Amino acid sequence: MELKVRKSKHIYIVDIEGEMDLYNAYKLKELVSKMLDKGIGHFVINMEKVEYIDSSGIGALIYVSSALKKKSARLVITSVHGSVKKVIELTKLTGYFPLEDSLKEGIVALMKG
Amino acid sequence: MMEQIQINDSHELMDREGMFYKEFPSDFRQIRYFTLLIVQKAPPEIREINLLEQQISELIKNAVKHGNRSDQSKLVKVWYTFSEEKARIIIEDEGEGFQAIKDWNAFNEKRNSCLSNEDYEALADYVSFRTERSDDNDGGNAMFAALEYWNEGVVFTEKANCVAVGKTFPKKNTGIDLG
Repeated sequence: MELKVRKSKHIYIVDIEGEMDLYNAYKLKELVSKMLDKGIGHFVINMEKVEYIDSSGIGALIYVSSALKKKSARLVITSVHGSVKKVIELTKLTGYFPLEDSLKEGIVALMKG
Repeated sequence: MMEQIQINDSHELMDREGMFYKEFPSDFRQIRYFTLLIVQKAPPEIREINLLEQQISELIKNAVKHGNRSDQSKLVKVWYTFSEEKARIIIEDEGEGFQAIKDWNAFNEKRNSCLSNEDYEALADYVSFRTERSDDNDGGNAMFAALEYWNEGVVFTEKANCVAVGKTFPKKNTGIDLG
């Protein structure tokens, strides 16, 4: 799994690529914690290039959602598809996560303030 | 759909007759590899977008990490059988067993009531099941999905170091009109 961060105005986009599994999901938690410490307040987690997720990956997304909420930072998770979407559905967290269909829609949602 | 994890040594899902068998050392680094060795026996029709692999991997992970505590001298034993209509798997470890099944079922019931009320504020307390032995890398959500996925049930033995699961798949339309 690879994580890349890019910026669009005040919004930080974390692009995840690869498999979010028991061996590497912790990396997302570490990265987002560091970004929160720097005072970043608007996050997009872009899952367009994630083809596999397990309970540790779902756990990392739960951690990120709740850590950001505690700091009143804003989050959208974008482009969830395929088996990742299915695992979120099986875990019944589709309504819990702030999901947007595409990166573009995610950015628009955050821009609305 | 089963609402609860069951405890029943003589449940039909516990029947090992005619199943394939493999055993592995409890090597945490190899959980996904062991899973692939099992899933390769499944017909492509039921492997649907990695879900079967993902669900089996969670059960093997529980056996390796929570059951055998990644002690490589302890084995994880797996019985499995797959067809285009059905998947069944039984996984046994040498640990003390999942002692928190009743707590888990109570937790899941509260979680489901948050979900049916669409109360996502309250749901925040029920997204992850923790015990005193959970660590930061435990998602604490695998069995919620397991209960949804394994539509024939998720059943533990009384000792709770052995879990059996089963799923039936909808019959695919063959495209041949017999009418």
